[in-house]
Amino acid sequence: MQPFEPVSFPNENGFRLAGTLHRPAQPRAGLPAVILLSPGVKMRVGPGRLYVPMTQLLNDQGYTVLRFDFHGLGDSEGEASETQLIDIYNQVEVGRYVADTLSAMRYLREQHGFGKFMLGGLCGGATTAALAAERDADVTHLLGVGIAIALSGDATPAKYLTRVELDSRRKGYFKRLMQPKSWLRLLTFQSEYGVIWRSLKRMVIKDQAQKQTQASEPVQSMALGNANPLFPPAFFAFLKRGGQALLLFSEKDRLPSEFEEKFTLPYAARLAPFQGQMKVHTVPGANHVLSMPEWRQEALAVTHRWLDEQAAPAGQAA
Amino acid sequence: MEQAGFFQSGEAQLFSVIHRTVNPACTLGFVMSHPFGEEKLWTHRAFVSFARVLAARGYAVLRFDYRGCGDSEGELAHSSLETHVADLEAGVKYLQSQVPSLQQIGMIGLRFGATIAALAAERATGAVAGAPLVLWDPMTDGDAWLGEMLRSHLTTQMATHGKVIENRDALRARIARGESVNLDGYDLAAPLYDSCNRKDLLSTEPKTHAGPALVLQISANETQKARTDLQALGAAYARGEYQRSTEEPFWKEIRAFYGRASNVEGQTLAWLEKHHAAV
Repeated sequence: MQPFEPVSFPNENGFRLAGTLHRPAQPRAGLPAVILLSPGVKMRVGPGRLYVPMTQLLNDQGYTVLRFDFHGLGDSEGEASETQLIDIYNQVEVGRYVADTLSAMRYLREQHGFGKFMLGGLCGGATTAALAAERDADVTHLLGVGIAIALSGDATPAKYLTRVELDSRRKGYFKRLMQPKSWLRLLTFQSEYGVIWRSLKRMVIKDQAQKQTQASEPVQSMALGNANPLFPPAFFAFLKRGGQALLLFSEKDRLPSEFEEKFTLPYAARLAPFQGQMKVHTVPGANHVLSMPEWRQEALAVTHRWLDEQAAPAGQAA
Repeated sequence: MEQAGFFQSGEAQLFSVIHRTVNPACTLGFVMSHPFGEEKLWTHRAFVSFARVLAARGYAVLRFDYRGCGDSEGELAHSSLETHVADLEAGVKYLQSQVPSLQQIGMIGLRFGATIAALAAERATGAVAGAPLVLWDPMTDGDAWLGEMLRSHLTTQMATHGKVIENRDALRARIARGESVNLDGYDLAAPLYDSCNRKDLLSTEPKTHAGPALVLQISANETQKARTDLQALGAAYARGEYQRSTEEPFWKEIRAFYGRASNVEGQTLAWLEKHHAAV
């Protein structure tokens, strides 16, 4: 682990946000500063300390990395008044921590002289990164791991399952056909009948996600279900000004199918001109937090190659 | 005032935060001992909140990350029960060096962190010897605890493969061969596994710790049975007390957001008040 220093800086409401600044042993001029944003309510090392090897990789590549805790979380000041996780998750998806992220950029700008930024993170951290990128043109790169582009909601999450998820559920139902426990659930009204019906219906009616063929076509918002309406405008604004994005997904997670069915297909025509700026990679067999070493190694290897491609001077560094 | 920094334990530099108090005559401080693996992350904010409450009441508090955890150096796969106890002891020394007015340093731990605190208290001298010891839901049976830890690997297998490919015996065999088993991103390997793999990890034999000790069982509701091992543990301390607190298992992902564990906090403060007049 590279030596690092504890830091703190104020957010727009005057709360001090606690973080750690990790400088590379051999800094490379022209690289943006990287800010890794925490997912959900986790503190700045990320689930399973995922951000520790990510930071090491970035440091080895010459990047300076800041990890910090959002207000009310981790070691930072402030209080979260919510009593349910879902309420916080819902707010993260609509930008709860964007202002804190902009404060972190201001800190790196004013105290360390950085002019360009790469925002990264897992899940809600990646969502925050995308929403913050729309607000500040100095964000040149996004490094999203399992970016969440749908709203969590609370009442009926099953209503918004993707086609891939429905097919996967159906396979599970067939596997459990011989289990008495499953029949007991079915006959005692404990099963999700709507999901069972929709998954079986797909055996007959194989509807496909709507693919946008012309950039001018309106995207049918109803067809996108619970897609986060804030994500597409933020992401397109970032791409239009030349932003580069690496989006990593885990195969055994719902997020890659959500991303495809609720973003890349419906917006295919609008995305077409930006294909060169967006690299998407799915880690086979991995779970949401890339907990196993082999999954992490693959994610880091892909990130390493992408960083190499980005290494050309992109702006002013400290 | 909160001061982030580092202290040395063996070959590892450990990350820490000292919560200082405005009380110039502060004589009692606390070192907090976090639980294992991802439980540390789920409970982090509750630890921060309680540290701030204690600091506001005039006590200096040190929170730190064990080696291989949080922002600290080291690999969890290389850690053992002994390194955990050594890290906690190094934390106590560090707090004492940073707040010289302290005459007593108590320890507060949760789950595996409580077990470490109890073990450290048994061999403590100096400032810790007569200080308060607070054990929130400690693990007494190491074998059962490791089984619980290994279950999280089985859960990952079910989620990613749809079935269990390696059962617990296979995972134990892997550890015995010198490999590590990944638990939600944390490597469990032989040094920690072997040193914790016994039923009497925290025995209920009479304890030598001379200070007051609170053994707090955390139960999701009042209908849950009292844990006889914790009752016996409370009785094993000359000045020990067993209590129960109603709280969701905030060390794992549940529906509730635990910015603070209010019941645990309240009962601990009330108990401290009985044993230390300045609270």
